[in-house]
Amino acid sequence: MLSKSQARTFFLGGTGVFAAIFLALTVDSMKRIPALTHADQLTESVVRGKRLWEANNCMGCHTLFGEGAYYAPELTQVVERRGKPWIRLFLKDPEKMFPGERRMVNYRFTDAQTEDVIAFLDWCGHVNLQGFPPKPPLRDLLRPAAVTASGTAASQPELFRTICIACHSVGGVGGVVGPALDEVYRRKTRDEMLVWIADPQKLKPGTPMPVIEMTDAQRAEIVDYLLDLAGRTPPPANGRPTPKTPAEVYE
Amino acid sequence: MKYKTQKIAYWFFAAAMGLLALQIVYGFIMGFARIGMDGLHPWIPFNTARAVHTNLLVVWLLCGFMGSAYFIIPEESGRDLEWPVLAWIQLISLLVVGVIAVGCYHFNIWEGRKFLEIPRPLDYLVVVNVLMFLANIGVTLWKGTHPTTTALVLYMGLLFAALLYLPGMIQEDNQTVDSFYRWWVVHLWVEGVWELIMGGILCFLLIKLTGVDREVIEKWLYIIVGLTFLSGILGTGHHYYFIGTPRYWLVVGGIFSALEPLAFLGMAVFAIAMSRKGGRRHPNRIALTWSLGCAVMSFVGAGFLGMAHTLPSINRFTHGTLITAMHGHMAFWGAYAMIVLAMIAYALPLLTGRRLWDTPAANWAFWTSNIGMTAMTGALAVAGITQVNLERRIGLDFMAVQHEIEMHFVGFLLAAALFTIGIGLFLYTFWRHGLPSQEAMAPESAPDTLAADLAPEAR
Repeated sequence: MLSKSQARTFFLGGTGVFAAIFLALTVDSMKRIPALTHADQLTESVVRGKRLWEANNCMGCHTLFGEGAYYAPELTQVVERRGKPWIRLFLKDPEKMFPGERRMVNYRFTDAQTEDVIAFLDWCGHVNLQGFPPKPPLRDLLRPAAVTASGTAASQPELFRTICIACHSVGGVGGVVGPALDEVYRRKTRDEMLVWIADPQKLKPGTPMPVIEMTDAQRAEIVDYLLDLAGRTPPPANGRPTPKTPAEVYE
Repeated sequence: MKYKTQKIAYWFFAAAMGLLALQIVYGFIMGFARIGMDGLHPWIPFNTARAVHTNLLVVWLLCGFMGSAYFIIPEESGRDLEWPVLAWIQLISLLVVGVIAVGCYHFNIWEGRKFLEIPRPLDYLVVVNVLMFLANIGVTLWKGTHPTTTALVLYMGLLFAALLYLPGMIQEDNQTVDSFYRWWVVHLWVEGVWELIMGGILCFLLIKLTGVDREVIEKWLYIIVGLTFLSGILGTGHHYYFIGTPRYWLVVGGIFSALEPLAFLGMAVFAIAMSRKGGRRHPNRIALTWSLGCAVMSFVGAGFLGMAHTLPSINRFTHGTLITAMHGHMAFWGAYAMIVLAMIAYALPLLTGRRLWDTPAANWAFWTSNIGMTAMTGALAVAGITQVNLERRIGLDFMAVQHEIEMHFVGFLLAAALFTIGIGLFLYTFWRHGLPSQEAMAPESAPDTLAADLAPEAR
């Protein structure tokens, strides 16, 4: 068995060797990180955004690169996922976008600060994270082919894909704050939908649905898409109704 | 208590207990927020509660480590502490900095980097504080009799913990580089030098409590801390998988972090073997229970549960989910909270002269808190696994999944209540010991002489 001095040599020697390897790998990493992170695109706006990110301890709820507090969504690639218009709208009044849900402090960013935060998150979204976050491997297995056709982001209008989908779902993809929209064509006419989107309070005072600024053409495009689902979405399998969302139960 | 100046340890322990109680309060605030009861949100939003919860953990553990050092170092060096007044200044200033930092979090003032939230100006005060501490125990050790291995390992652990605090103060524009050095503090503390501190304290306790020969115990200490660094330094790589660093970290981090449980396994086997060998003759049974409990729970929490999600192919899906919170709770409890509680259970009767070492309340405190923490970890594990499957593997919306796992947090809160009862009993036992007294200095009432009689130490 080892003597005490041999044990000490093992401790000191091992620590020395592995600390040296670690330092060497650190030097090498520092050389490669600029390329992996597109450090040349670290604009002043991105850096200001990072300072805002830290000054408000965003990591205390959210995660970024998977690091943070698991209370609020992962924000890596959030710009790609939600789009800049949605984030601008959301940061103006976070609770208004997700009424009755988990709350976020309204930090009252100026428009310039909002752009800085978005620039920072956008920069983070382009860092090479070695495959993180992973594409959900079971998603395609669980979605019937017919629904996939209408549910794919590709067929959705730009605004619908970035903004509406945050609260509503189509084909099982999207948020759960508002009701699923797969069969909204059964409940509402074209005109009703147009009025509803333009001014929800007019049809139902007190509804938590926010007014989203858009042109008439954009509104028509969204309504056309929702009516179009009638032709493509099959009736729910086994006659099961679409699952109730909290908002529906509330109604 | 052999030396009058060891008394300062009591006040560090008392401070640690107060901060632990406050940490639990903020834990409950977060637990309730997760089941939708977030009425405190306008004053204490989740990020504030979270920062307070984790920072108080670090501060009370550091208080516990410092108290342990103030107790152990004079004993191992065979002399009084060099500057007892400085120790008092250091304790008070540490608490003042802590209170200011916690206050800042309630007014949205921070550095805002996970675990390193304290505003930067306060960082410098922490550095000064730690320098006072290191100087005090360092000089005591230097001027003492031939320094023992246990004391040296403990001192090295504390010294490197202080040095590794510095990379966390580098300000960086690149988020990846920022995170890279942030882990030098966080990882190399908890999976590196803190294990040195833990090993040092555990060795001291085993030497005192089991009566096994010092040479044997200290030889194993070297092997275990050797294994810690062998795996833990390059094991830092498991934090570098997905933050924008080169791909080789997936291999390096995967291999070496998979070896990390070895050190904890070694610690558990060693502690149990030593207690068997020594025949557990020391009357302070509860201190030995905490020591062995610490060795076992640190293997389960830090070693096994860490191993469960450290491989890159698994971590790709669990990274940034509640699985990390699951591992974190039992790891910190087993490895660091329990070693401090073990040290307190050992030192209190010696500091106060009251032999409350095997009371029913003390035993209930051990079992209730451990069963509570195990159940909390279980609840987080179920919530975490559900989150991984629904969010990361099926691709459901984040909030939809959070609603699905809400009920697990009801279970989590019930388990936390049980844990809190255990900690309450520990605090009650602490309070019953009363204050440090001169009578504890009298040789006949110093129980340590009993242990020394039973098993003479080979110095």
